[in-house]
Amino acid sequence: MTISRRRIYIIPSRFGMALALLLVAMLIAGLNYNSNLGLAFAFLMISLALVAMHHCHRNLLGLGVDVTAEVDALAGEQASFDFVLRNDAGVERCDIEIRCDQATATQSVPPNSYRHAAVNLPVERRGVVRLQRFELRTRYPFGWFRAWTYVQSPLTAFVAPAPRGDRSLPSAAAAGAGSHSDLRGDEDFAGLRAYEAGVPLKHMAWKVLARGGEAAVRSYTGLASQPEWLDWSALERLDTESRLAQLCRWMLESDAAQRPYGLRLPGTEIMPARGDQHRSACLRALAEYPSQANP
Amino acid sequence: MSPAAERVTFENLLWITACLALTLLAGSTTLPIWVIATAGAAAAIRLTLAARGRDAPPRSIRFVIAALAIGLLFWQFRTFNGLSAGTALLSLIAGLKLLETRTRRDIHVVTLIIYFLSLATLLQGESFWLLSYLIAVCWLTTATLLRLTSSSRGGDWRGSVRYAGRILAQAVPLAVAAWLFFPRFDSPLWRIPDTGGGAMSGLSDVMSPGDITDLAMSDEVAFRVRFSAGTPPPQERYWRGPVLHQFDGHAWSRTDSRRVRAPVVLFQGPAYEYTVSLEPNQHNWIFVLDWPSRWNAARGALTSDYMLVQDSPISQPMDVVATSYSHVQATEPLSSDMRRSDTQLPTGRNPRSLRLAQQLRSAHPDDLDFVHAVLDMFHTEAFYYTLSPPLLAQDSVDGFLFDSKRGFCGHYASAFAALMRAVGIPARVVTGYQGGTFNRFADYWILRQSDAHAWNEVWIDGQGWLRVDPTSAIAAERVEHGLNDSIATGGPLTSRWQQRTPWLTDTRLRLDALRLLWRQRILGFNQGSQEKLLGLLYIPEPDGQKLALALAVCLISGMSWLTWQVRRELKPRSRDPVNRAYERLCRRLAAVGLQRMPHEGAETFAARVAAARPDLASTVSALCRRYSALRYAAASPAAAAATFIAGVRAFRPRRVRPGRVRPASRVRPGPH
Repeated sequence: MTISRRRIYIIPSRFGMALALLLVAMLIAGLNYNSNLGLAFAFLMISLALVAMHHCHRNLLGLGVDVTAEVDALAGEQASFDFVLRNDAGVERCDIEIRCDQATATQSVPPNSYRHAAVNLPVERRGVVRLQRFELRTRYPFGWFRAWTYVQSPLTAFVAPAPRGDRSLPSAAAAGAGSHSDLRGDEDFAGLRAYEAGVPLKHMAWKVLARGGEAAVRSYTGLASQPEWLDWSALERLDTESRLAQLCRWMLESDAAQRPYGLRLPGTEIMPARGDQHRSACLRALAEYPSQANP
Repeated sequence: MSPAAERVTFENLLWITACLALTLLAGSTTLPIWVIATAGAAAAIRLTLAARGRDAPPRSIRFVIAALAIGLLFWQFRTFNGLSAGTALLSLIAGLKLLETRTRRDIHVVTLIIYFLSLATLLQGESFWLLSYLIAVCWLTTATLLRLTSSSRGGDWRGSVRYAGRILAQAVPLAVAAWLFFPRFDSPLWRIPDTGGGAMSGLSDVMSPGDITDLAMSDEVAFRVRFSAGTPPPQERYWRGPVLHQFDGHAWSRTDSRRVRAPVVLFQGPAYEYTVSLEPNQHNWIFVLDWPSRWNAARGALTSDYMLVQDSPISQPMDVVATSYSHVQATEPLSSDMRRSDTQLPTGRNPRSLRLAQQLRSAHPDDLDFVHAVLDMFHTEAFYYTLSPPLLAQDSVDGFLFDSKRGFCGHYASAFAALMRAVGIPARVVTGYQGGTFNRFADYWILRQSDAHAWNEVWIDGQGWLRVDPTSAIAAERVEHGLNDSIATGGPLTSRWQQRTPWLTDTRLRLDALRLLWRQRILGFNQGSQEKLLGLLYIPEPDGQKLALALAVCLISGMSWLTWQVRRELKPRSRDPVNRAYERLCRRLAAVGLQRMPHEGAETFAARVAAARPDLASTVSALCRRYSALRYAAASPAAAAATFIAGVRAFRPRRVRPGRVRPASRVRPGPH
């Protein structure tokens, strides 16, 4: 998306207002004393302010901006929107401030280049945070003017519940306390199986691939390779938020242990799998689950 | 936290302090020393604290210091209204503001004060160098502001200064246009009292030669003169200033002669027309050649003793066009009032001189004879001209005529007038300038403070006032060093070092010619100049309305230029000259309706051009082939690039009317 001329607004900042008053005073002083040098200086300063205004406006003009529109987050932490600012111009764009709601990030982009900027929006509660637009601002070069533009691009943060709860994983509960070592299934190599999307890279059988074989994945024995079903219905006697928090915690634990897991919520079932996409899908399901007060 | 509330770094503090110091330096000649010292001390304290990582001193201490300093300032000036007092107050506030600077907002305030102080300094000054210096200071201040606003400009000071400089350069055209066409007013919008005393220089309305032991010869320019018709000989170049009537036996002073109408005289001799370019001074005297008949100073009026004065001090450089005649003939007898005041002598003072006058008078009963007798006495007796005369007692004329016999023009004029009055001949002392230096590079005369002179006028019944210069009667051999006077030596006398280094004198004269140009074109720019300017632009009957229109046109086109100029820098431009030439080739073809598609390669495009415009086919395909070779061939000689660029530069396709095709283009492709 590129910022066009019509969408950029510009007004003097408070400092700029003070400068404007001063410039008027300078002009009057020059006129009153009938001093040509004083007038020359006053006009130079007025002209300087006008040029600065153009430069402030230009700092946003034609700037390209891309953003990851959907991000995942956990309640109580921050949703981090990743922006890419593209500068195709031959001049540097300095101090571009990106504002999403109250969160901001500032970045400068050298000529013919691009830069990433992460805006970390604090999210307190589980749910889906939707922003219809974000703002780009700049006070460059002298802070006399503030130019800004609104980019009408929806941003969504899926805020999963903060992981909480003290119940152990369903599989661990089923196996009992004695077979704890089985959980560390990674070590017990069982054989190769065909590659499927979403498998952690460190499980890839690179040597097989290097020898020219089919892409294969090492698989492991033990309970760890058994899909973990994270089931809403397994958590009776808890309210909705606590259940979701417990599910989230299980999910993150399974993810960390690189076990395939599936998620069952009333009305939703996500088949067991592994990987970032799967994790994201589960987090979103948790985030989007209607809260009790407002189903 | 708002951006303005952020803390400032030590580096930024240091830079803003430096900028303020440079600004105060420019105003140091007019500011009280203690104001500069206070500001300096405040800055030093703050910087020391900041260097140790400490904050500004507590509020109570700052308050006490500020109250004391501002109180002291009021005690000195008695007002804050007026330029000197206002400037001093602002300087003080800026210095004290540094003491409490913690956030960006504090520095913002200091930058604004720096801008205004620069303007205030310019209102009092007038030189090109001052303007350049203050613009440079503002450049630095603005660069500091850039660093303060922009968090990304880490240690890149040079880049900040360069960027601020570019913005300043882009501001110049608009500023020049506004300056040229913004309406000027003849009189100030309102008067501001100025009580701050600038140093008096040059002539004053009191002459007391007996109190001076060392007459300093200042090189400061009093005024410049350009004769438009005929240059008077040296003995006619007397520039009339204050006329002194009142003598108390020791010193001469002026009486208020404004109330009385100037007597009508008959002008005789050749008329000289000239322009006097007066430097600003503390007085209201307009120096004109003896005897003025016409002048174009709107607020100038003649006093009864033929002195041209204005109702207010000459605070701005001023040009006066005047006409003077070398001689006058009185048409009416001397009024009894004037006769009384010009023959007045204090009783009981200078008795020896009175006796000498009586003795001479008995030998020379005729007034003119008596005048010559006195001049003869100065010539034949051992009277010396010196710039370092001894101090004289109360009866200064006695002391000079009988004891010291050494003095400069003031002594001679004083003694001469006293001797005249002693025998009842009306006489007065005229002060002013005499001689001058001719600037052959720009054809005008420079009158410096060192050309200040005093002479006499005596009333001869039946003729009127006659100019007598007793100093010129001194014998040449008794003129001691330091006399820059052309009368005594018969020609311009230059000091020894000037004679040894003629090129230095020339350079000085050339510089002075530039200064005069600056004075007349820039400092003296006014409504008249604006009307002339409009005339140059072929705008008939220039008036205020047309001026405003011209201003509006300039501002609108200036703003459009600015928009274009600022946005132009956004366009990505190829650094590679071959690519630039290729872009130009495509632009020129696009201008005749052949737009290259983004996906089209050079040779595909050339083929399409050849099909559409057979007349351009050979040139375009040759150029495109060469471009491909330059881009994609393994190695191409540097000359090939130059040929390609030259070929593109010469390629100017014509737009064809439908149905008509030009046979060949003008460019022949060079060898491969």
